[in-house]
Amino acid sequence: MVDYKPQYYPGGSKIAANRRKYIDPKYTLRKLRTISDDDLVRLMGHRVPGEAYKSVHPPLEELGEPACPIRELVEPTPGAKAGDRIRYIQFTDSVYFAPLTPYMRAWMGHMRYRGVDIGVLSGRVPLEARERDLEKVAKDLVETEIFDPARVGIRGATVHGHALRLDENGLMFDALRRFQYDKNKGEVVYVKDQVGVPLDRPIYVGKPIPEEELRRITSQFRVDGEPFRNDAELIRFVQRIHMLRTEAGFDPNKVKDI
Amino acid sequence: MAKYPDKVNLYDDRGKLFDTNVPIEALSPLKNTAIQKIISYVKQCVAVNLEGVEKALATGEVGGKWCIIRGRSLKLDLVKNAGSVADSLKKCLQVDPGDDTEVKVLKGGKHLLVKVPAKRLNAGVEYTTGVTAVAAALCCTIIENFNVNIWDADLVHAAVWGRYPQTMEMLGGNVSSLLAVPQQNEGMGYALRNIPCAHIALIAKKNAMNAAALSSILEQTAMFEMGDAIGSFERFHLLGLAYQGLNADNIVYDLVKENAKTGTLGDVVISTVKRALSDGVIKPLKKTPSGYTLYTTSDLNKWNAYAAAGLLAGTMITCGAARSMQHAPSVFIYFNDLIERETGLPGVDFGRVAGTGVEMSFFSHSIYGGGNPAVFHGNHIVTRHSKGFTIPCVAAAVALDAGTTIYTPEKISGVVGEVLSEVPELRESLRYVNEAAVSIKGGI
Repeated sequence: MVDYKPQYYPGGSKIAANRRKYIDPKYTLRKLRTISDDDLVRLMGHRVPGEAYKSVHPPLEELGEPACPIRELVEPTPGAKAGDRIRYIQFTDSVYFAPLTPYMRAWMGHMRYRGVDIGVLSGRVPLEARERDLEKVAKDLVETEIFDPARVGIRGATVHGHALRLDENGLMFDALRRFQYDKNKGEVVYVKDQVGVPLDRPIYVGKPIPEEELRRITSQFRVDGEPFRNDAELIRFVQRIHMLRTEAGFDPNKVKDI
Repeated sequence: MAKYPDKVNLYDDRGKLFDTNVPIEALSPLKNTAIQKIISYVKQCVAVNLEGVEKALATGEVGGKWCIIRGRSLKLDLVKNAGSVADSLKKCLQVDPGDDTEVKVLKGGKHLLVKVPAKRLNAGVEYTTGVTAVAAALCCTIIENFNVNIWDADLVHAAVWGRYPQTMEMLGGNVSSLLAVPQQNEGMGYALRNIPCAHIALIAKKNAMNAAALSSILEQTAMFEMGDAIGSFERFHLLGLAYQGLNADNIVYDLVKENAKTGTLGDVVISTVKRALSDGVIKPLKKTPSGYTLYTTSDLNKWNAYAAAGLLAGTMITCGAARSMQHAPSVFIYFNDLIERETGLPGVDFGRVAGTGVEMSFFSHSIYGGGNPAVFHGNHIVTRHSKGFTIPCVAAAVALDAGTTIYTPEKISGVVGEVLSEVPELRESLRYVNEAAVSIKGGI
């Protein structure tokens, strides 16, 4: 067999390299801030910190699983084992050089995390999982370099804003004003949870990442940054997939060694 | 002589070798006697909810929920007398004494599993003979056995047939089959695809391998009926059925085993590519300036079959780890996205599974209504686009769910899934299809 090393993503641009980096599970995402477990729970708003996890079904041990070779093989996640509810965290990524594009969240998430359900829409990306599993994943997603406090929003509802101009402080528009810029501290602070319910005390999520740094770490192609059209290798790749899908649809037997 | 050169090793649902060097045509619905039997059973087997008939008659609630005819009721001990009802029903349905008619009493008389004789179906052109014959015969049986008079006979009809013929289907009726009425099929040859995954998972008693196998058999057999699995595309579908649905060469099982404890969906993608490479299905084409290797294949049909097996394994890992069915559509999109980006080769069904996943995500996550994955089938408006490669994964996902949905598969399926799980060929289809393939392989 030929030597094979996972390659994750094609393309010759810096953006493509960033994409490869984030998708590759061996790359450890740089931690930029610490959000306490309780604050994360409050931001998501599914339970009160310290409250026991609610369940949607009894723990698997009590439930007794049907005889199935796959169930016998596949180890359930801790949340599934306990019968946790399935909950979500949802992000909105500004088109202005936010670290991730919506699709990147899915590619990266499915490479790195087990038992997650990720959906991609233009202005929001929910990640659903069993509640205690979700909290572990959410920690990564909020504490590391893929979260810019100003241009990434934790938004469960009324997500509008990803394609709107940034405000005078460089923050993405948020109709529910969940987050604000604290000029004195120079940090972004959440005053409402992800669906817009006011928090009993604010949660600071750190300083916005400087523009230059964002342009360096982003996985977004932009005409005023690094344009997609400049990555000829990636364009040829996308065209290749399109061509192969189409020709195979006509006659798969004729698509050989190309 | 075999039309196609492909030979596969057959394995059971636990990864145990069953037989080697079996031509894929031995797994074809056109030749495999077990698949043909399964299709016949799907037409012949009908579930009767005798308890439902008894309740409907007692309460006057006939023709659907809340549809109660006040002042009309009939107290008949149908469940208690299920044995005699079954005997009379059998006599009524039989064409010849000793033919293949069967009526089995289940759950202490609450349900009946009826097998309509093949001769009745052969004498018509529509598969609806199964339900119409049973419903009509049951009405006659109840009227005769319980001396129902002319003024109450209509209530018996409504309790058995439901609101039909005011409705197109037997709304609120107590006789059901796996197949929907032909008017509910989205196009020609869709009948076998119009079976919700809830039924499939329950028939297989939530064994994910058998659920996927049965679903794949029904879907890929439908491809022959729809006009898809013919000419340039026959081998494409046969390989898909063998590798994805029937665990040929143990690929599905191996991929699941390899990633069972800690694997992510991405890990399954990587394992699938590794397997395709080591089996010589794909090979490097060239290196791009960035160092990325594009892969190619001289057998795109086989690559598709490998990718389809990987897709099912990816579903089993993701939905299995979370013990939840809702993850399935996300798997359909991103398994394909990731494998395309990993290799430079098209994903399962050349993009159609990824597309199906996009639609299914919307309609299974309360974004535009819809329902949980258990209600989906190959005839569904948002999941019919892939030619047999998506629904087996949905069936497996439903089988692996530990109870995360408001509407459970049991609730959606009603009595059909539970009753038809009594038919061994439907419940353990993988085993029976393997046995039949081995018995005919010499003649291929």
